[in-house]
Amino acid sequence: MSGTTQRLIVAVPVGDAQGTTAAAAIALLAAAGSRSPAALIIVGAERPRPATLVAPVATRDLEGSIAASAGPDVVVRSRGRLCVVNLKADDECLDSLAAIIAEVPEGIPCALVLPPAVYREVAAYGFEPDLVLLHVDSDAGDATAAVAELAETEACGWATEVEVLTSRPGRLAGRLALAGRAERKGRRVRRGRRFFASESGQATPLVLGAIFVLVLGTVALVAIAGAITGKARAQTVADLSALSAARSMKDDLPRLLAPPTLPNGLPNPVHMPKYQYLARARLSAVRIAVSNGASPLRVSVSFPDSFSFAPVRTKVTVRSTVKGVGFGGSSKDWAEARVGAPVSMGAVPSVASGGGYSGPLAERQGQGMRPDVATAFDTMAAAAGAAGVTLAINSGFRSDAEQAALFAANPNPTMVAPPGQSLHRCGTELDIGPPGAYGWLAANATRFGFVQRYSWEPWHYGFTSGPEPCSAAGDMVGTGDPGNGPAGSLPSFVPKQYRRAIMASAMKWGVSAALLAAQLYAESNFDPNAGSPAGAQGIAQFMPSTAVAYGLRDPYDPDQAIDAQGHLMSDLMKQFGSPALALAAYNAGPGAVSPCNCIPDYPETQAYVAKILALLGGIGSIAPMPMEVELVK
Amino acid sequence: MEAVAGIAALLLGGLLCFQLLATGYSATVADGAAAAGAVAAVRGESVEAAVHKALPGWARSRVSVRRAGDSVSVRIRPPSPFPVLGNRITLTSTAVAKSK
Repeated sequence: MSGTTQRLIVAVPVGDAQGTTAAAAIALLAAAGSRSPAALIIVGAERPRPATLVAPVATRDLEGSIAASAGPDVVVRSRGRLCVVNLKADDECLDSLAAIIAEVPEGIPCALVLPPAVYREVAAYGFEPDLVLLHVDSDAGDATAAVAELAETEACGWATEVEVLTSRPGRLAGRLALAGRAERKGRRVRRGRRFFASESGQATPLVLGAIFVLVLGTVALVAIAGAITGKARAQTVADLSALSAARSMKDDLPRLLAPPTLPNGLPNPVHMPKYQYLARARLSAVRIAVSNGASPLRVSVSFPDSFSFAPVRTKVTVRSTVKGVGFGGSSKDWAEARVGAPVSMGAVPSVASGGGYSGPLAERQGQGMRPDVATAFDTMAAAAGAAGVTLAINSGFRSDAEQAALFAANPNPTMVAPPGQSLHRCGTELDIGPPGAYGWLAANATRFGFVQRYSWEPWHYGFTSGPEPCSAAGDMVGTGDPGNGPAGSLPSFVPKQYRRAIMASAMKWGVSAALLAAQLYAESNFDPNAGSPAGAQGIAQFMPSTAVAYGLRDPYDPDQAIDAQGHLMSDLMKQFGSPALALAAYNAGPGAVSPCNCIPDYPETQAYVAKILALLGGIGSIAPMPMEVELVK
Repeated sequence: MEAVAGIAALLLGGLLCFQLLATGYSATVADGAAAAGAVAAVRGESVEAAVHKALPGWARSRVSVRRAGDSVSVRIRPPSPFPVLGNRITLTSTAVAKSK
C-alpha cells in the first residue's frame, strides 16, 4: 500500500474476490493516519454492521452529518474511527454517493467499495479517485478480468494510482479495520482481542463493564465496612478493657477495704494498699487491650474517683487509626466501667423488724436469716454437697405478722406456734429439706452449730453457736457491734475522736454504728471541715436545707453532724427498710429512690452505695454484697 | 453466544461478590458475638447465652463457641452460594476480657 495522502479510494472486487471491504478499510485507515476519522461507503447488498459501543466524537459527528443528508434507505453507523455507510446498488445510488461524498469534510479520507458494474458508471460519472484498488482472487484465476478492469480504468483518463491486490487481507487485520481500529505493527495480538474486535462480540464490553462495576462496588462496600468495623473494634477494645479493670477492682475491693492492721497491731496480710489496687486494675486494662489487638502505647487508663478511699470507676481510652478508600484518620474511643451494687438491690439484705430479731438479714435461697446463721449455713451446705446431699431452705426468718398469718391458716399450737412464740422470729431458725437430707442433718448439723430443735420436726434446725436467739447481742451480730464495749467494736479506720459520737448516735437512733462510720469515711474521710461543689457541708456532708430540717445548726460541728446523720439514717431505714436504699437516699435524696424503690442509676450514687456496702462487707459487719461490673458510658 | 457467556460470567461474578460480602458480614457478626460473650464472662453470666443473643437468627445454627481462660472464641460458617465452598470457609473471632 502506498501513500497516505489519498482522499478518495475506490475498491473494486474482481470476479469472486472476497474481503474487498476489509482491504478498503485497511487502506482507508492508513490514509487517515492515527487519529482522523474516515468514511467507508459500501455500495451493494452487503449487510450493514452494527455500531461499536465506543467511537470517537469526530466519527459520531461525521455520522450525524452524513445521516442528515442521506436518504432513508441509507444506513450510517460509527464503527471505531470509521463512519460506515451502506448504500443499495440501485439507479439513484450514484446521486446519493455524490451527496454523501460532498458531506465529508475536507481532509477526511473516503473509500468507496463498488461492485464492478457500478464502478464503470462511477468512472463515467466524473469522480476522480486518488487510488483504485482492484482486488483479485488469485486462486480463482481472475487475472484476465483484472487486466480488463485495469484497461477500463486507464480508459477513464484518471491520473490515478492503481493497485492490484492478489490476496485477501488477514482475518484479524480485516476485522480490526472494519471495527475502525488499525492493527498495530510489531505487537502480538492475542486471541482475546480478536474476540473483542469481532462484530458478533459487542456484548462483551457491556458484560465486562457490569462485572467491573460490580467488583468496584463490592470493594468499596468492603472498604467502608472495614473502616466502620475497625472503629467498632476499637470501641470494643475500650469496653472490654474498662470492664476488665472494673472486674479487677471488684475482685480486689475486699482486700482494699480490709483493715491494714490486725487487732494485735501486726500488718494485715490480706490488706491491699490503694496504689496496688489501682495498679492491678490498670494492668488488667492494658493486658486485655493488648490481648484484643491494641498497642499498649495507644491505651490510656484513668480512675475518675481515684481520690476516694475506694475507687470503683475506670476509664479506658484507645486511640486508633481508621483506614479506608478515600478517607481515613485517627479516632479516640473510650469507655468507662464501674463496680456497683445491683440497681435491683432493694429488699435484700433488709432489716428485720416487727418483733423478735431486729437487725440486718442475710438471704439464702430466698429466705432471710441472721448474718452469722447464713455464714454457718454456707459451710454446712458445702459439706453436704461434698457428701452428695443438697440442702434446701424451706423457711427462715418470719416476722410476727407472717407467723400470725400461718397460725390463722392452721390454728393448732402443736403444729404451728402462735405469733410471738416461734423461734423463727429470731432469725436463727431454718426449716431444711428435703426429707432425703434429714439423715445427713441429724448426723452432721451439730458440727456447724445447728441443733434439731424438736424431735418431731426433723427439718427444724436452730443455730446455737452465736448469740442467744432474740437477744440484744444477736441484734448486734450484723451491725459490726458485737458488744465488746461501745467504741471498741468500731472498725479500725474510725479516728478515736469520733468513736464515742458515732456510738452515741447509733444507740440513740438504732442504726448500725459501722454503717454510720463507713458513711462518714465515704462522705468526708472524717474531715469535719469538708465541703463539696454541690454545697454539702461538714463531716456528714449535709446540704443546708436538710440540716435545717433535722435541726442541725452547725454542720461543721462533728458531734452535732453525726447525731443528725444517725437521725436521718434512722428515718431512711424506716422508710426504705434496706441499708442499700437508705444509703442511696442519703446520697441522691429520697425522691430519687422512692419511685423505683431501687438504687437510682446515677454513677455517683451507685459508686457511693457500692463503696459503703463493700466496706461493711470487708470488715465483716454485714454479709458480703453481690457486686456487679458494668459499663457506665 | 457471547451474550450468554457474558451473562454466565456476570452471574458468577455476582455470586463471588455475594460470597465476599457474606464473608465480611459474618466476620463482623462474629466480632460482635465474641465481644458480647467476653462481656458476659466478665460479669459472671452465661457466655453461650450472650453469644447466641448477639447473633442474628441465620447465624445461630452456624456458630460454635469456645472459651479458654479469659478468651471467648466464636467460630462461624458464612452463608455461601457454593455448597462445596460453604463448608470450607470458617471465620473465627476472639475477644478477651478478665473473667477470673
